[in-house]
Amino acid sequence: MIVEVSDLIQLEAALLDDCRYAEWIELFTDDCLYWVPVSPEMQSPRDGPSHFRDDRQVMMVRTHRLANPRSFGAEPSPRTVHIISGIRIEESTPEEIHVSSSQIMLEYRNRGRFEEDQRAFGGRVRHRLLRTAEGLRIAEKRIDLINAEGAFNAMAAPL
Amino acid sequence: MVIAELNPQFLVRAGEVHRSVYTDPAIFKLEMERIFGRAWLYLAHESEVPEPGDYVVRHMGTQAVILTRGKSGGIETIFNRCSHRGATLCAFEKGSAPHGHQCPYHGWTFNADGTVRFVSNASNYDGVLDEADYAISQVRTETYRGFIFGNLAGHAAPPLGDFLGHMKSTIDDLVDRSPTGKIEVGKYQLRHYYRANWKMTFENLNDTIHPGFAHSASVVSAKSVLAEVGRDNIVPTVGMMLANGKPIQFFQDLDMVTTPGGHSYIGGHMGADYTPDTADAYTQSLMDFHGPEKAKQVLSVDRHLMLLYPSSFWHARYQTIRIIRPVRHDLTEMIGFTFKLVGAPEETHVNAIEYCTGANSAASPVIADDLEIYERCLLGNEYDRREWIPMSRGLNEDRERGNSITRTPATSEAYIRNQFAAWADYMGKAS
Ligand code: FES
Ligand SMILES: [Fe+2]
Repeated sequence: MIVEVSDLIQLEAALLDDCRYAEWIELFTDDCLYWVPVSPEMQSPRDGPSHFRDDRQVMMVRTHRLANPRSFGAEPSPRTVHIISGIRIEESTPEEIHVSSSQIMLEYRNRGRFEEDQRAFGGRVRHRLLRTAEGLRIAEKRIDLINAEGAFNAMAAPL
Repeated sequence: MVIAELNPQFLVRAGEVHRSVYTDPAIFKLEMERIFGRAWLYLAHESEVPEPGDYVVRHMGTQAVILTRGKSGGIETIFNRCSHRGATLCAFEKGSAPHGHQCPYHGWTFNADGTVRFVSNASNYDGVLDEADYAISQVRTETYRGFIFGNLAGHAAPPLGDFLGHMKSTIDDLVDRSPTGKIEVGKYQLRHYYRANWKMTFENLNDTIHPGFAHSASVVSAKSVLAEVGRDNIVPTVGMMLANGKPIQFFQDLDMVTTPGGHSYIGGHMGADYTPDTADAYTQSLMDFHGPEKAKQVLSVDRHLMLLYPSSFWHARYQTIRIIRPVRHDLTEMIGFTFKLVGAPEETHVNAIEYCTGANSAASPVIADDLEIYERCLLGNEYDRREWIPMSRGLNEDRERGNSITRTPATSEAYIRNQFAAWADYMGKAS
């Protein structure tokens, strides 16, 4: 099972890094949650505002927008690489698997500003996976950035 | 620019402003003294420090202050600086210090009101140090309907009520929406920052012309998803992006209200079609509290963002307040707070949370565009010989001009001119 799970987590990150967003969204269930809270203490996105609090629709808009040359916030488009380690299954039932991993995403946008153009986002990522007729799907991805409480500059690429 | 030359009359003209107000560190330094050092700045809500000893740390321009609920129940505000050798007292943004604030360096300890509680090795100072001389300076505060404002000018400042003027009505609008008359701050805050001047946010948030351009990609993407899922299934965040695609005429027909001191708001909120209508249970509870007349009046207030110059942004309908923290002339932080209307359905706070996320997250597609633009304006204003920036849109379009309020079309840059009138007024006075 760990191989199957780990393949999915790596595939998800690779699709993001390759900007294959439509395929990325296909990995998620219809009523999924993609969530980057402002504190590791948050239990639910209803507890307070979030950096990202996306359902599938918002994920669609976000990624559609990334492909649009007029989205200034993403001009030039970010290039990313995810580095994943410590994939662990925390809980599993026949229908559901809770996975955690440590991830760093390096992001680069060439704005001619030297080191400022590259940023690192890192933290603990939790996936809740569901077994569906189509195979293993992501019902929830929660990213607890180590600097979750901090202020961020514009973020265009999903983490 | 040398400070001695800095006479605001040279930097602000009727329909133009000199670009150095965004790019010059010396001007920024003077703004901290003369604007952030004189205006009433929103600091915190009473519900953030419910128990004696509870404190929060906030910024007033570039200086940090501690607001502590004292033993007698009042709120005391002092600088976050030990009077011994200057170390920062509180490292955390909030906490509880019922036994006073102790400095980590030599252990000097201060009461909520800044008076000295304990000096380490006091016997070494025998006769040479009077503790009374080392009380931490207090900041003058005043409260309006539970919102605490501070003023660094102390007694030289006018009463808070004069500063707020007509803008009190937006604060009333927020509090009156509570079916118990009480509101409470949400537990979590959301922050973003950008590498540009603090005034960019003030000049952008009620700019109704830029969304059609700067946010066009969000609108295009939201429309494409709308076509895929159908209007009935649109989630609020996507609705908020669509709201940026409203035709200019919509804004031309709306009123913008500006008031002395640099404040402004736009009537009619842009998002009328993206929030679920106020639930029946909520309306009923509001009628029970206010009576039907007043409840109807409260619900009929329809204002978009209020800009309270120079430091906060208020959205009464979505119970969101944002505070600006100028760090340097080219670095600014924005901190978003939501409020619960005590007694209202939980869904009301969830709406506020959704609004705050869309309006203040660096990952919000709309905000990401704005932040990019702020930074480009800073970069661009560093070069070329063209030194004056026009702010003349709608210069001859005033609808009503009075002493307490002026009405213009919401497409006007009247609010920017009004901000710079206040700016020149603050900056022009040496002491
Ligand atoms: S600096 Fe605070 S006790 Fe010495
Ligand atoms: Fe904008």
